[in-house]
Amino acid sequence: MQLMRTPKKIDIDITNRCNLRCRYCYHYESAGDAGGDLPASEWLRFFEELNRLAVTEVTMAGGEPFIREDLKEIIGGIVRNRMRFQILSNGTLITDDMADFLVSTKRCNYVQVSIDGSVPDSHDAMRGKGSFSKALQGLMTLRRRGVRTAVRVTIHRKNVRDLEGIAKLLLEDIGLSSFGTNSAGAIGLCRKNAEMVQLTTEDRILAMGTLLRLTKKYDGRINAMAGPLAEARGWWDMEEARNGKKELTAPKRGYLTGCGCYREHLAVRADGVITPCTMLSHIELGRINRDDLVTVWRDHEALNALRRRQEIPLSRFSFCEGCSYLNYCTGSCPGLSYALTGEVNHPSPDSCLRKFLAEGGRLPDRALLC
Amino acid sequence: MDVKNPIANPLIVLREEFDDWAILFDPDTGNAFGLNPTGVFIWKLLDGKHDTDAIVGRLREEAEDVPEDAGEHARQFIASLEQQGLVGYEVQT
Repeated sequence: MQLMRTPKKIDIDITNRCNLRCRYCYHYESAGDAGGDLPASEWLRFFEELNRLAVTEVTMAGGEPFIREDLKEIIGGIVRNRMRFQILSNGTLITDDMADFLVSTKRCNYVQVSIDGSVPDSHDAMRGKGSFSKALQGLMTLRRRGVRTAVRVTIHRKNVRDLEGIAKLLLEDIGLSSFGTNSAGAIGLCRKNAEMVQLTTEDRILAMGTLLRLTKKYDGRINAMAGPLAEARGWWDMEEARNGKKELTAPKRGYLTGCGCYREHLAVRADGVITPCTMLSHIELGRINRDDLVTVWRDHEALNALRRRQEIPLSRFSFCEGCSYLNYCTGSCPGLSYALTGEVNHPSPDSCLRKFLAEGGRLPDRALLC
Repeated sequence: MDVKNPIANPLIVLREEFDDWAILFDPDTGNAFGLNPTGVFIWKLLDGKHDTDAIVGRLREEAEDVPEDAGEHARQFIASLEQQGLVGYEVQT
């Protein structure tokens, strides 16, 4: 597969600081939790390199990006260097002034705010008391001032029975065109708090069925790249492929093809260390403003090894031995796999359909997919 | 007499991706436009120093089997870029 000459997007942990400590945060207590923040001047210099490389987009996350007092200066650097940006936020620190600034740049693709409940209890259970009302206030401020917004709902044990209420709040009461969902993955703080946070098999069954039903009710306005909704669709695809009712093409099946992030983008930790992805923060590829980004992109052995991951057949793993889904599976996220097995080149156990079924799981009603 | 030479909008990003193909990215709108290798060649000469004839002349020097009506195609291509705000004109006196 051909490689782009330069990365198209860069995901930046613009800060290591956050005003919340969500119980399932993937950042804290992962390799991404990397000490102090770089000064704005370092980021501004880095953005000049990104401009020379024709990088078009920067995603700022953290930590909580709006905690940085110099965020406007940093965004100014993105704008000057001909890029667009998006910000992933908990929503609690957004002000009218900041929203107006974001609009004025004309370069903000969106601000994603995390809303995990329809009522304070289900949101605040993992994010801290008072965070629900502040997050909603932040979302409404952005919308009122004309900033494009996205909402991500992370599904966990305390909100899995509130999904109907969440959909109503976001799609009917607030009037979002859509929202995204995922679930707390076993990375960072979530791993430590797994018993409190992660969905049980019964919870997953409930979440898959509920989300499919709500997606039907709301004309497809709920989406997912990971988590129960994505799993319900992906696992049904595998089931139908196994039964000869469907052909699955891209990505190639039966190999570790679950993620192609590192063919399109790179990530940078808050300490300036370049990594393949925020989910693979332990793989250090270099440092901004010290190492040439193009050289890292094209020649770094660890990165190229990740790109060759797609050539590794699942039949190589004892974990997959005898699995009737093997030829229809992609092995899913390497970051999750690393967190759970200590190996990047391994299928993720958390995304395994056979394991889910063996633990008493069942796929939702097929009719809900139509 | 004033001579108008096309000049690329400096805000627009030429992003060369695979082989000699590229996209033009407008960061203000987020729109992207695909360019084939000939389009990329022409884009790089939209520096305000070359008129269309000079650009086609350079193309004939660099490439083989350039069709006779390449000048017309180049003019149409540059006009379409201008319509989309990707190119302007610098007036020389």
